[in-house]
Amino acid sequence: MTKLEAKNIEKYFDHDGQKLQALGGINLKVNDGDFVCLVGPSGCGKSTFLRIVAGLDRPDNGEVLLDGKPVIETGPDRILVFQEGALFPWLKVIDNVEFGLKIAGIPKSERSEISKRYLDMMQLTRFAESYTYQLSTGMKQRVAIARALVLDPDVLLMDEPFAALDAQTRDLLLVEMQLIWERTKKTILFVTHNVAEATMLGNRVAVFTNRPSTIKKEIVIDYRRPRISEDENLSKYQQQILAELRPEVKANV
Amino acid sequence: MKIKKLFLNLDDVANAALFLAVFIGIWQLVFVLGIWPKISLPSPATVAESFANIISNYTLFKGIGITLGRLVVGFFISIALGAAIGFAMIKFKGFGKTMSSFSAGLLSFPSIAWVPFSILLIGFNDAGILFVVIMSSVFSITISTYSSIRNIPPIYIDAAKNMGAKGLSLFLHATIPAATPSLIIGIRQGWSFAWHAIIGAEILMSIVGLGHILSVGREFQDMGQVIASMITIFTIGLLVDRLLLFKLEEKVRSRWGIE
Repeated sequence: MTKLEAKNIEKYFDHDGQKLQALGGINLKVNDGDFVCLVGPSGCGKSTFLRIVAGLDRPDNGEVLLDGKPVIETGPDRILVFQEGALFPWLKVIDNVEFGLKIAGIPKSERSEISKRYLDMMQLTRFAESYTYQLSTGMKQRVAIARALVLDPDVLLMDEPFAALDAQTRDLLLVEMQLIWERTKKTILFVTHNVAEATMLGNRVAVFTNRPSTIKKEIVIDYRRPRISEDENLSKYQQQILAELRPEVKANV
Repeated sequence: MKIKKLFLNLDDVANAALFLAVFIGIWQLVFVLGIWPKISLPSPATVAESFANIISNYTLFKGIGITLGRLVVGFFISIALGAAIGFAMIKFKGFGKTMSSFSAGLLSFPSIAWVPFSILLIGFNDAGILFVVIMSSVFSITISTYSSIRNIPPIYIDAAKNMGAKGLSLFLHATIPAATPSLIIGIRQGWSFAWHAIIGAEILMSIVGLGHILSVGREFQDMGQVIASMITIFTIGLLVDRLLLFKLEEKVRSRWGIE
């Protein structure tokens, strides 16, 4: 069943008075419970596309459908996890995690129950009373993921959430992310510029072209989980993706 | 940790005491050299006597009470009014642009220059003094509210909206806390403008208060009282800024993880 559908999404930006087309008509269908990775050359507009799906930016053309209904504004049914985490420094970890629940007017006792579950899942229980500046980058991203999951979104949108992490922490979170997906059965749209990361996570990898970008090719990765970064069997998928990506990156330089 | 902090404090105290001793020493030396007549520059001992005098007849405490009372009332009106104007400037963009240049002009407008206007408009009374205090500090609050909110990293607002915050809940749970570190700086600055203004206004428009004590000293050529009032004004300004506003700013900055 199609959960999310992007139809012919176009987006223009003003660049020194000139109109610059970032997105040249993106079409994408994502099934319920699917894990789709978006890869592409830097600056191709993958993040813009994700922001449009989240409802934080408006497309100049086309529409996004969630369960067949057009998306008009942003909302907690499509939670975006930002690259920088975007945690609130004025709140403790636990209050960051409960933020959306509090906004939704859920009573304190129920909030604590839900947040406790996800703090546990993300191994953050020890840090519940910390402020975010006391956390490492990896911990911050765990909080950001917990903050998204508590809201039980229809679609989880992730914008290069692991890009700023060191290799070990990233590998750890890449495995955890697969376990979370298997446990929660969330529909996930995951933007990355890292091909290895995409092959570890995605059931499907959509390759973006250079600007104005469209989706050039979708590659299905039908391989057992949890996948680890050392698995050499993933390299054939990586080669396939890189072959599509290479001319785009060259055109970009 | 605690012990180290205590030692640091002792160090600070020792430094301050040394500074004060040197200052009083130089003062005493200049006095002994007799460069100015005694009536123009009294000795530290004479000033201490004046101090004892205005303390023992309660003039000083009454003055401090009245001045701080006026200041607190005026300053809180300034915060409320300034914040309201600042929020309106965010809400109505055209108004915001115009008002921000207008406020910048009024920010550098000398507080004392409001006095004649205030006397003629409102009168030679408490309300007139409050008016000067408010006009002198409100624009600093206005500008800082406006720029604090405009400078919030957009990602906080995006994240909050994405998690369902809008309207009042967005304002209370994201906008205000995200702007707080720089709002506090504006409040601290506004306080210092208000403090300048009230002493000026009291010298010219009041028959009570710290500014008035200073002004009486001048009229009776009582330099001891003038200097004693000046020291009081200096000390209160220092205490409020260091013990209250600076502490508050530090606390917010550390909580927000800034430095």
